[in-house]
Amino acid sequence: MTATTPRPTNASGPARRAAANASAPRKGGKPPVRPGLKLRERREGLAGYAFLTPWLIGFVGLTVGPMAYSLYFSFTRYNLFSDPQWIGLDNYIRLFTDDPQFIQSAQITLVYVLVGTPIKLAAALGIALLLNYRDKGSGFFRSAFYAPSLIGASVSVAIVWRAMFSSNGPVDSGLSIFGIELGGWVGNVSLVVPMMIILAVWQFGGTMVIFLAGLKQVPKELYEAAEMDGAGAMRRFKAVTIPMLSPVIFFNLLLELIGAFQVFASAYIISSGTGGPAGMTNFITVYLYKRAFQDGQMGYAAAIAWVLLVVVAVIAFILFRTQKSWVHYAGDNR
Amino acid sequence: MFNTKRTAALIAAATGTALVLAGCSGGSSGGGGEFDPDEETTLNFAFWGNDVRAGLYDQAIDLFNEEYPNVSVQTSFLPYPDYWERRQTEAAGGGLPDVLATDISYLRQYSENGLLLDLEPYLGEQIDTGPFDEAVLGSGEVADITAGIPISTNAWGLFTNPTLLAEIGVEDFAGGDWDDYTAWIEDTTAAAEAAGVEAWGAGDWTGRIQVFELQQRAQGEELFTEDGEPNFDEDDLRDFWNQTTEQREAGAFIPQQRVEEQLPLGAFDTALTASEMTWDNFGAGYLANLGEGYPELNLIEPPVTEEGAKDLYQKAGMLLSASAGTDHGEAAAIFIDFMVNDPEVGAIFGTNRGLPASETARSSSDLSGLDAQIEEYEASIADRLGDAPPVPIVGFGNIEEEFRVLGTELMFGTVTVDEAVDRFFTEMDVALNS
Amino acid sequence: MTAIRPEATFDEAVRTAKGAPTRRKVSRKSWQTVIWFVALGALTVLVLYPLVWLVFSTFKPNAEFGQNPGLIPESPTIDNYLRVFEGIAGVPLWRFFANSLFIASMAVIGTVLSSALAAYGFARIKFKGVGVLFAAMIGTLLLPFHVVIIPQYVLFNRLDLIDTYIPLILPKFLATEAFFVFLIVQFIRSIPRDMDEAARIDGAGHFRIFWSIIVPLIKPALITCSIFAFIWAWNDFLGPLLYVTSPEQYPLPIALRLYNDQTSASDYGASVTASLLALVPIMAFFAVFQRFLIGGVATQGLKG
Repeated sequence: MTATTPRPTNASGPARRAAANASAPRKGGKPPVRPGLKLRERREGLAGYAFLTPWLIGFVGLTVGPMAYSLYFSFTRYNLFSDPQWIGLDNYIRLFTDDPQFIQSAQITLVYVLVGTPIKLAAALGIALLLNYRDKGSGFFRSAFYAPSLIGASVSVAIVWRAMFSSNGPVDSGLSIFGIELGGWVGNVSLVVPMMIILAVWQFGGTMVIFLAGLKQVPKELYEAAEMDGAGAMRRFKAVTIPMLSPVIFFNLLLELIGAFQVFASAYIISSGTGGPAGMTNFITVYLYKRAFQDGQMGYAAAIAWVLLVVVAVIAFILFRTQKSWVHYAGDNR
Repeated sequence: MFNTKRTAALIAAATGTALVLAGCSGGSSGGGGEFDPDEETTLNFAFWGNDVRAGLYDQAIDLFNEEYPNVSVQTSFLPYPDYWERRQTEAAGGGLPDVLATDISYLRQYSENGLLLDLEPYLGEQIDTGPFDEAVLGSGEVADITAGIPISTNAWGLFTNPTLLAEIGVEDFAGGDWDDYTAWIEDTTAAAEAAGVEAWGAGDWTGRIQVFELQQRAQGEELFTEDGEPNFDEDDLRDFWNQTTEQREAGAFIPQQRVEEQLPLGAFDTALTASEMTWDNFGAGYLANLGEGYPELNLIEPPVTEEGAKDLYQKAGMLLSASAGTDHGEAAAIFIDFMVNDPEVGAIFGTNRGLPASETARSSSDLSGLDAQIEEYEASIADRLGDAPPVPIVGFGNIEEEFRVLGTELMFGTVTVDEAVDRFFTEMDVALNS
Repeated sequence: MTAIRPEATFDEAVRTAKGAPTRRKVSRKSWQTVIWFVALGALTVLVLYPLVWLVFSTFKPNAEFGQNPGLIPESPTIDNYLRVFEGIAGVPLWRFFANSLFIASMAVIGTVLSSALAAYGFARIKFKGVGVLFAAMIGTLLLPFHVVIIPQYVLFNRLDLIDTYIPLILPKFLATEAFFVFLIVQFIRSIPRDMDEAARIDGAGHFRIFWSIIVPLIKPALITCSIFAFIWAWNDFLGPLLYVTSPEQYPLPIALRLYNDQTSASDYGASVTASLLALVPIMAFFAVFQRFLIGGVATQGLKG
């Protein structure tokens, strides 16, 4: 380290400084490219598409067609057996004007997303930071915390989760110690959504692993430099960890939101495919699945799916727009 | 060079191809196909069930192969809901197996859309119809074709748990009308509480559409007309649900919360209720789930609505059908005959697939315990048995489920009877028109 | 702190990218360590309790699944294990494990290769149309997959690929799971470009930069992707349900449902036991791979 480390004077901190510093000398050394500008652009284009080839084949061959087809379904009455019949906007109209189940479904899904996502993200990030504090011994904890996420959506999850939250089950008994008498959660209409949120939070391991991978990529030197500059733990966290981790935070935020909006397997398994009790696990995707495969209303299900897509797309778009103000891409600083 | 317009065009083109690719639904034509015993034939055969049933089918197919060594049968099996998800996808995308187990509630949908082979030409030839009761065989006929051959029959019945009743200290339900049954439930629930046993007389019996059907049939009315129109109105349904409103509120039935906590098991499976009305083939499952502590069940007649009415009926519990797209129609028919009629096959399965519909299969299966009880039961209700209703309308499964869900919501108190009636008719409207 | 000098050679850049050993500051604040262990230990108990319950429940006879919600079996038995080890309908248990292992391993290889390539294309190469394609890729994340099942099935049925593993594996080699592409994109974008530029000046093409500089630097991301790809494929239920027909080709998630059938008796003891056994290989996979997530994997080449 030939350190002419700058003192951190502003909020952007050492991270941005390091990047800026790093890119500074490049300008002078860049060989002039004049005649081949067009050619270079073309070469870049070719290279770009070459790297994207496998993805493009999959996208065009396997993804776009079925997606477009599902959009078409949404304007039809399609019972899976006879050819779809074009009915224009009828499915969408029914969805917004004449379907109390959809309204309930949308409401519980929103609660699930708005409450569950922040808690899960905070838990995952917090514990990832804790684990990152030291390496020795953290391997065990990493595995332990990730274990619940391994279990998938087998009937075991249903059995164990129902047992935990039944009347006189561990949760009920545990809360009784503190004088909180809630009884069983599983069959309690107003406690089922919280129970599903706790299930989601319990499976925070995947998100945590991504945060951990992100933390591993933060150069140790940045911390050392900051420490040398006398930055305290909080300051290091704010000025180094957060900006360096922001692309990963952004990723987890977006993907967790999408995942929560599309919650399916856990709710389906826990309710034995019914969406009960009283429709309280009938999240949007569970509802559209039941419409598609149990009721033979694939057209209507597709309409639900596309409404969900638009809602999530708007949220994703807004998130992408906010990136500039808080997500720091070291590789994009030029 | 690579501009957005181009990309868009490219994507559009690709989409077009995929649309053409996907532009197929319904069954492909085909069917028929003569059988030559010397020629190698492969039959794909799918059924629902667990590992136990699969093992029995393996034995049955070994027997079949002793007689028809050149027919290789490729089996595939899944649990019930997964089985139907797979079949629904195949039905939409082409590619049903040659022979498949079907259920009365899906039969109309599949046959009306031309997905099932008409087995009529094989009846009395490759498929022996002698051992079948006329009415039961007829339950596989829909949309003017013979869409399936029944493997088993079942009838609606009332199971009670004598061991649990003894613990509670209450006599078994002695028969009577619906009020008698309700009163018995109230007594049982009260006695259980007094005895310190966590149990109830039953769940709310208005939660199942079959009970509604039973009461309607007692008045001489089917739930749906031959044309698939509903044959009851809002008032009928309101009166039906109101029969137990008082008991629902008084806590005579097991609270819905306790029921939900048992899922995927039921309250009767876990000895929380002393009685349950359902199809009689559910008995074996109950016994297995109840375990050693509750070694026997009683199976008795459901309460009577109208003395002398023919409200009960036998339905095909499980059928075997052939795909309209099969190239081996005759081989499929021979295989189906063997699986439903062969006495040795009957002996292998016993009542694993329900009480055998075929006389030859039934008489050779050595029925004992609960199986014998079920056979006795179906014989004992003979004078209450009427004609089976027409094969359920398309969308019946949806209507049945909505009925069940509303029943649970009535128990939760999240809807009133009037709201439930409204919701049911709205949902039925959608189901019948899609 | 110095950046890579512009005149640094390509080899030098590569060497730095692969990461020189980092000195670690050993914290002497042992009381902090104690708190650390206690806090995480308590959390572990909370998080693992349901799994412990599951382990104990494998020793419960079937009837207790409905009647005994407690942790300890009333009449413990190993029957569940004996039944599971018998296999299902003539198919030995190991066969389902082998099927799952094959599918999951192929998924890891396919996903990591194709997603890393695509991610590099999205993150590091500027060309026309990249923005639209990136948006389209994100778009594929947003549609609930249930409504594309039928068209996809038709596609693979037309190609006569039903009852093969190809519909399960081919999409992995074509990076159809945007989750992985996007994840790697985020990691690549947080790597400063200095070394790329240095390498470019030395005449290295994109592929060399990708392979020799970027891949070593995004190892944590690739490990993460491997873990996820393996576990998701291992647990995937819907894909095999739709595309695999023969019971001897079934992977575990289907096999362990075969103990239950609502229309006859359900063997919850066996299915819970089977699903617990199914956890063992992925636990092992994770335990091995998570090691790569510790200790300065990447130093970003910022060390002088």
